[in-house]
Amino acid sequence: MVLTDASMLITEACVKAGADAFIGYPITPSNKFYNYGSKRFPLFLAGPDEITVLQWMTGLSAAGKFPVTATAFPGLALMAETFNMAYMMELPMLLIITQRLGPSTGSATTGAQGDLSFINGLISGGYPVPVLCPSNFEDAWKLTEESIKTAINLRTPVILLTSKEMVMTQKSFDISILPEINKINREQEPIDLPYKTYKSGNNFVPPFVPVGNHEHLIRLNSSTHDDEGMIQKNSPNAIANTIRLKEKMEKRLDEYTFFDYDKQDDSKNLIVTYGISAGAARNAVEELRKNNKKISLLVVKTLLPVSEKITSIIDSYQNVTFVEENIGGQYKEIIYGKVYRSNIKQVNKIGFMISPSDIIKELSL
Amino acid sequence: MKSPVLTDKKMPFCPGCGHGIIVNSISKSFIELGYNPLDIIIVSDIGCSGLVDPLFATHTVHGLHGRAPALGLGVAMGLADRSKKVIVIQGDGGATIGLQHLLEAARRNIDITLLVFNNLLYGMTGGQISGLSTDKFKELRQVEEGVPPFDIIKLAHQAGAMSSARVISPANFTESIKFAVETPGFALLELASICPSYGLQKIKELDEFSQEADALLNNRKVNEVVYRETSSLLNDVEIISKKFNTSIDERYRILLAGSAGGGIQLAAELLAKAGISAGLHSTMKGEYPVTVGTGFSIAEVILSRKPIYYTGLDTPDVIFIMTEDGLEKVKSFMNADTLIIADDLLSLSEANNISSKPFSKKVGKRSAILNAISSWISDTNVIPKEALIDAIKPHKHAELLIKAIETEV
Repeated sequence: MVLTDASMLITEACVKAGADAFIGYPITPSNKFYNYGSKRFPLFLAGPDEITVLQWMTGLSAAGKFPVTATAFPGLALMAETFNMAYMMELPMLLIITQRLGPSTGSATTGAQGDLSFINGLISGGYPVPVLCPSNFEDAWKLTEESIKTAINLRTPVILLTSKEMVMTQKSFDISILPEINKINREQEPIDLPYKTYKSGNNFVPPFVPVGNHEHLIRLNSSTHDDEGMIQKNSPNAIANTIRLKEKMEKRLDEYTFFDYDKQDDSKNLIVTYGISAGAARNAVEELRKNNKKISLLVVKTLLPVSEKITSIIDSYQNVTFVEENIGGQYKEIIYGKVYRSNIKQVNKIGFMISPSDIIKELSL
Repeated sequence: MKSPVLTDKKMPFCPGCGHGIIVNSISKSFIELGYNPLDIIIVSDIGCSGLVDPLFATHTVHGLHGRAPALGLGVAMGLADRSKKVIVIQGDGGATIGLQHLLEAARRNIDITLLVFNNLLYGMTGGQISGLSTDKFKELRQVEEGVPPFDIIKLAHQAGAMSSARVISPANFTESIKFAVETPGFALLELASICPSYGLQKIKELDEFSQEADALLNNRKVNEVVYRETSSLLNDVEIISKKFNTSIDERYRILLAGSAGGGIQLAAELLAKAGISAGLHSTMKGEYPVTVGTGFSIAEVILSRKPIYYTGLDTPDVIFIMTEDGLEKVKSFMNADTLIIADDLLSLSEANNISSKPFSKKVGKRSAILNAISSWISDTNVIPKEALIDAIKPHKHAELLIKAIETEV
């Protein structure tokens, strides 16, 4: 056993999976990543601001390296435009977002789950970003590897959404149970000639070739572009290429959909939760079952895009309770919008973690 | 002759635009320097200067307004190969909004070349003035008079650019570009341009470019990017094996409260580790002001037989209070059932479950909390005292800490 934190496990998993560089700008509660990252990554760079951080990362990624950063909402807000650029250029990278209490600078050392709505609308035009969310230390390890794999396989920035309590709390943990993580293979299938930077085959993702290579001319472009990477206003080729950005995320969603479904037969009630609130939900379910109450639990780990696998589980229950540490129920709203449904309950809280008793009380089974 | 570094695409600029002259000078420079076009990466910004990508038969990366120097720096740091030439192109508007990136690139002195096409205005949005619009240009148009332009050549020089130069006469463009590209570190070149649509109509109007040509050099080492070998973080983590037994039935939720410098966080960590060596699951988290050297210091520890999913404390079973700062923070957790172990310097109202002892008087402020924990362990036998001693042993001040807990209070 060791006493450790998820920041360390995530950092270590990044490098094991083949991440090359950590580009940091200090911000609480992502500061442990910065410290671990400066020791562990093959390259560590201290950016002068978050915009620069993400620009450097995009450049590194264009050159074939895999960059990682960790920030919180204020940093992510500054990165929003560059995030769109990296998304449009289709360059793989990982952003670890540690949620803290908002709005604005809020409370830097208080946990929260308040940034999902922002991330859901991060890409202008409403394009999906893969968002993976660990619910415990094992997830922190495995989902980091899956995030990097997804970023590489789909050629996209990926967000690993954590929170203060998830990555700063020290816990006893048996590291010997962690599965080995191997460097993710970036070798390409043979490329159909003539190579075009954004020409994809059936899998919706163009093969990645770094700038500076001697075989293929690369044209990366942040503006609307055709499959060659040439800037275009709205030519059919460019619009098709833009639509493909959504398609690749959604048509290959099964490759990166993760969740824990703890189903109890005959239960009409389901708790849906994610991230730090999953701990309280697991305890609540244990307690309820001890008292012979029927309850199922769905811990969602791929928050975005929303998979049909997840919605179909939710749909199969008569009563569903969403548990998330924010003011209005952001994941619930992504699933159901603003429409009121009498069979949907929610447990929300700000400034404090949701406790097992908060959940049990709301369920009143 | 067709240039090997240019495509056959037509120039996208307005007739008479100065940018065409610069593009041709860049092409000429590359040919004269003999580069393979696929060793060149052109990184462009937003604005009229950002329309250059399709013209070049090199790798091209078209980024955001003002950010191209940072993007280009990232490309160079990713390639980490000085045989590849990263050429960043931006306009005066881009240099204004992204001044931080320009200065950062100069400071780092990585081998990239930044060419600023300065036509004194934002052409793409209708001719608005920029931070590089010159005094005379603004006087004639009666805008922002008296607000001087940035002198990016001097700024970049001050920030550490290996070379930085302003070139007004197109006749000198090719040689200047060659020099900048061949500069082994960061090179900035501001090139005067004209904008027939909104600004200077002709080359001969370049006298409105009221900043002087300039060329500054810094003699300094080029920054090389190195990808190093590192070893696993898990190698450095202390492995704690179960050596002791415990009498805990279910779990203990423990709150430690004191002041910065009072060893609260260390004590919590040691207690959590001691719990692990007694075969328990444990969690530990700290809370303190952002100014870590002053004010309160709080830590929460959970010791549990079962795995801990929810790491919140809700109602602590025991609260240790060592100072007034700490007391202030944990008051709301104190109720009739909670065991309170406090330093006797604190004036706590009489409650049924308070144990007040002179911890700090006996062992000093820094060790008071460990002594208090130790005495609680001895009284309750929650975990063996040996487990705590065992947790302390790897610490660099182990001897001192063990002495502190062995002192009878």
